[in-house]
Amino acid sequence: MKVILNGEPKECSEGTTIEKLLDIYKIDKNRAAVELNLQIVPRKELSNRMLKDTDILEVVTFVGGG
Amino acid sequence: MLVADRIEKELEDKKLKIGKYEFTSRLFVGTGKYPSMEVMAEALEASGAEVVTVAVRRVKINESESLLDYIDTKKYKILPNTAGCYSADEAIRVARLAREAGMSDMIKLEVLGDEKTLLPDPVETLKATTILVKEGFTVLVYTSDDPIIAKKLEDAGATCVMPAGAPIGSGQGILNKNNIRIILESAKVPIIVDAGVGTASDITIAMELGCEGVLLNTGIALAKDPVRMARAMKLAWESGRLAFLSGRIPKKLYAKASSPEKDF
Repeated sequence: MKVILNGEPKECSEGTTIEKLLDIYKIDKNRAAVELNLQIVPRKELSNRMLKDTDILEVVTFVGGG
Repeated sequence: MLVADRIEKELEDKKLKIGKYEFTSRLFVGTGKYPSMEVMAEALEASGAEVVTVAVRRVKINESESLLDYIDTKKYKILPNTAGCYSADEAIRVARLAREAGMSDMIKLEVLGDEKTLLPDPVETLKATTILVKEGFTVLVYTSDDPIIAKKLEDAGATCVMPAGAPIGSGQGILNKNNIRIILESAKVPIIVDAGVGTASDITIAMELGCEGVLLNTGIALAKDPVRMARAMKLAWESGRLAFLSGRIPKKLYAKASSPEKDF
């Protein structure tokens, strides 16, 4: 199945959790916030939220700013 | 205790209170635009800042370097901003994400009205403040130096109001001291000058006026020697704060001799 991660289509297998997807792309979940279809997913739920085909994920972190 | 030590201690003992948070340093420093992460880390240390601002952006996939590798989050309080947002809705979304990423309710709310001036949109800023306060955020809100909107933001529940000294990144200093004075006169929340600082004396002026602190980024990050400039900014707020607490002499039109009249 296909999900959109930060604007890019990504293939992943059925039953992939958000946490697993973050692991695959080496994203540190402790420094990130995740939005699934525009809803924030609390960090503690990342390990049990399963992805579905066409899900849209936005993963943000902190960068330099004023 | 030496007199100098006693005065230093007084400065440290009078904490800056932002809602439930307390800080000794009254300098908030940004983390953008430094020549390198290493220089940024040194500049933050030299500035003595306890609060550092950061922006919220998409994770770049397969990019391993992270800003937070260079910021000790035990030493610094992270203050995420909503920079780059042009509506209340966008800013609220970023604030919620920032809270989830950082596990802190402090947000530097910034809702801009125009890309060229980067001046705040007062209507959207007020709307976002009202909503974020309801959601339990500690809102430090960036605004223009207009006293009326500053008051309205305070009334809407902002924990700290942060008028611009001059446009963001312009380095023009405090352009309208009188407006800052008027804001300070009636404010019941801390007033922190945010934006416009070009050099150390700009900070001193803000502190002498009675501001509770100063937030800056470009003035340090783009100086030829950011680390040395960061130190200068630390000395500047301390100097201005002490001068404010000491009660300056009134300005007079004519001279008044410091030495007694000659009597022989």
